[in-house]
Amino acid sequence: MRHYAPINLHHPSKPFDKYRSAESGITVTTLFPGPNSFARSTAAQTTAADDADRALFITLSAALTGIAKERLSPAVDPIQINRQYFAQAKTDPAFDGLMQIIRADPSNPAAAAEKVLNNSDSNIKYLGRSIILMWYLGVWYAPKKLENFNSSPPKPPYPPDKVISSAAYTQGWTWRVAQTHPMGYSELLFGYWSKEPPALDAFIK
Amino acid sequence: MCAERMPNPDVLIVGSGIAGVLIARQLGRAGKKVLILEAGEALPADINGYMNTFLAATAKVPESPYPPALFGANGLTDPRTVNAGRPTVLSLGAKGKFGDWQDPKQAYLIQKGPLAFGSTYERINGGTVRHWLGTSLRFVPNDFEMKSRFNRFVDWPIKYRHLERWYRDAEKDIGVAADVGDQNYLGINFSSNYPMPRIPLSLVDMEVEKAMPNLKVAGVGLDGLKWKVSSTPAARNSQPYQARRVCAGNTNCIPICPIQAKYDPSVTLAEALRTGNVDVSYKTVASKVHVDGNGRVSGIDFIRYDKDDGDPVERGRLTAKLYILAGNAIETPRLLLMSKSEQTPNGVANRRDDKGSVGKYLMDHPLYLAWALTDKPVWGYRGPLSTAGIEVCRDGGFRRERGAFRIEIGNEGWNFPIQDPDTTTVDFVNGLNGSGLNDGSKPLFGNALAIALNDKLSRQFRLGFLVEQSPDDSNRVTVPDQVPDELKDHLGLPRPHITYDLSDYTKRGLAAAKTTASAIFNSMHAKEFTSKPEADDPSTFEWPPGQTTRIKYYGSGHLVGTHRMGERSENSVVDSFQRSHDHDNLYLVGSGSFPTVATANPTLTLAALSLRTADQIISKDFK
Repeated sequence: MRHYAPINLHHPSKPFDKYRSAESGITVTTLFPGPNSFARSTAAQTTAADDADRALFITLSAALTGIAKERLSPAVDPIQINRQYFAQAKTDPAFDGLMQIIRADPSNPAAAAEKVLNNSDSNIKYLGRSIILMWYLGVWYAPKKLENFNSSPPKPPYPPDKVISSAAYTQGWTWRVAQTHPMGYSELLFGYWSKEPPALDAFIK
Repeated sequence: MCAERMPNPDVLIVGSGIAGVLIARQLGRAGKKVLILEAGEALPADINGYMNTFLAATAKVPESPYPPALFGANGLTDPRTVNAGRPTVLSLGAKGKFGDWQDPKQAYLIQKGPLAFGSTYERINGGTVRHWLGTSLRFVPNDFEMKSRFNRFVDWPIKYRHLERWYRDAEKDIGVAADVGDQNYLGINFSSNYPMPRIPLSLVDMEVEKAMPNLKVAGVGLDGLKWKVSSTPAARNSQPYQARRVCAGNTNCIPICPIQAKYDPSVTLAEALRTGNVDVSYKTVASKVHVDGNGRVSGIDFIRYDKDDGDPVERGRLTAKLYILAGNAIETPRLLLMSKSEQTPNGVANRRDDKGSVGKYLMDHPLYLAWALTDKPVWGYRGPLSTAGIEVCRDGGFRRERGAFRIEIGNEGWNFPIQDPDTTTVDFVNGLNGSGLNDGSKPLFGNALAIALNDKLSRQFRLGFLVEQSPDDSNRVTVPDQVPDELKDHLGLPRPHITYDLSDYTKRGLAAAKTTASAIFNSMHAKEFTSKPEADDPSTFEWPPGQTTRIKYYGSGHLVGTHRMGERSENSVVDSFQRSHDHDNLYLVGSGSFPTVATANPTLTLAALSLRTADQIISKDFK
């Protein structure tokens, strides 16, 4: 046995309710959370315009996160986490304003990312940060919460509003940026920890 | 219904943790009928339900995967509303803050202070070893002889040599991976090798190891020590074992291994059930132990429930020839002290005068945590949570003056200290510096973000010092005769009250740990980031005394003492076989029987003691 880290996390506000209600398949019976009915049902209901917007969302996300677009939405993608993140981001009132920036010049996502994160409208600026953190950690920090963190920096840990889903935790990019895997979700083999990992680019490019 | 499960059992065991199930399996194999009462939920078909609860949890703490749920509609679950509650590390907050440690609506334990008892436990099938790390160190011989060797505390009624063969059997039973050549320090000897080869060292371990030849630690009794990193014996598969998989380095031993490469007692519980002689009644809480006029235990009252927060569905009394309490070092004395009667005015196993020891000498390994950034990548967050430690400092003449410690090297970056990688990620995305790593608090994005995070996260590591705590009779579990409803559980039973402090002997051990941590970091050219404790944190104390500087400690999850073994009932509760001095058909098993806590994680030793007790019962009580 071992020590415990006391965590002064606050109670999450109704964690996962939205996704639980939308996806009966979240009651995971397999060890590793795979594709869920939420992604599939969302896919069935999306329009061509939605799909186009989602593609732009992924393009912008790549510029925001520094993770290659092909990693965020790979050709073989049974989990389709981007659909959950797109749906979450869309719930924010500033989302359309954010998307207008990338729609205006889809060929230059780096410039769009700059415009988002340096935007004079703080709702757009912090939504950009919320989206980065969603990709990195699989959790949702409401933009207003991040803004409040900045005006009055709290002591860590910083409680998120919710974990997007159990699948989202396993898809967090901060782990890959650290050249590893999420705690509890190794796809590696015995003894790998005694050898150096592949270079960073092998994880994120 | 509960009594109908097994009419006239030979043995009634309270608790399905590692001690209870090892004994149940041994007795079942010997043809004895055993009924286990488990306060929590049933053995599930697999661990996937627990795993998914963990993945979706916002607060990923040792208790996260397991029921009852930590959170209710209004915050932390009020322990008054659940039938088999337990403590959580979320309830160690400062007064008036989230998780206020002394708010009975948030904290299961009624903590009287002056300091916080930081360790927690589970009340489910398999008990607390569900969420253990798997560290399976033996005690060193001097650990059993603190009085003789160092004129401190008491000796155990047994010595290392009495336990050696049981250590060997326990290592085989739970499947320990290690090499004897790494473990024969400080007088530890072996009669056979471990059942599996050792777990490989991590790159973090190797970096610490490089600094050992030049390490000098002054002023804490460790001058001239030949420092060495040792691989840690672990109940974690390095080969397929007991039909379980090889470790894949999920870095999640606590709270749950997703592939069950780490041993947990459900393995032994399944073996016990397969004997055909063992059964378990789940969600069945033992509420009172009865003693007859001859001083023998005559029955145990139980309350059974269906829903964690539902009303009882059955109450009754069960009888057997022999009774074993295998709760833990808090729930077992709670039950004994709840069982006052004319025959047992101070509680069961607690003498009739005022010299009983039940509940006294509660101990833990107060843990000093220190963290640093190396000067080149060591790639933490990979492999088992810990694969090596520094053990050569566990014994020495300094034990006359201060608590000894072992040093655990962590493989999980700064996850334990600051819940990283989350904290540092938020720092760099949102322009904060709670981690101390984002000088200038500049927000980053894109490639710059990925590169900055990679640079910081790949160089993090931490050390944990498990400090030997002195056995003090004032550190204790009590159950008052009259308890207001808000201090009871949903079954109406009084919750455990804890009085806890650290002696100067223990504090000096923690202070020596702090000195040693900084010396190791210096020797590694690593930059220390250990944060200064908050004054209102109930797990901190001033050090040196009278100064404004403080030391913070954590619980190790090691519940020790409270029904300690000894030769006489004047200063102990059980004999070396864990049989009650007062009642010859009652055994109290687990790390509650330890007279001293030493420095090794306690599970292997309590498993060895359990096997020794089972052998005694089979050969003597049922001969």
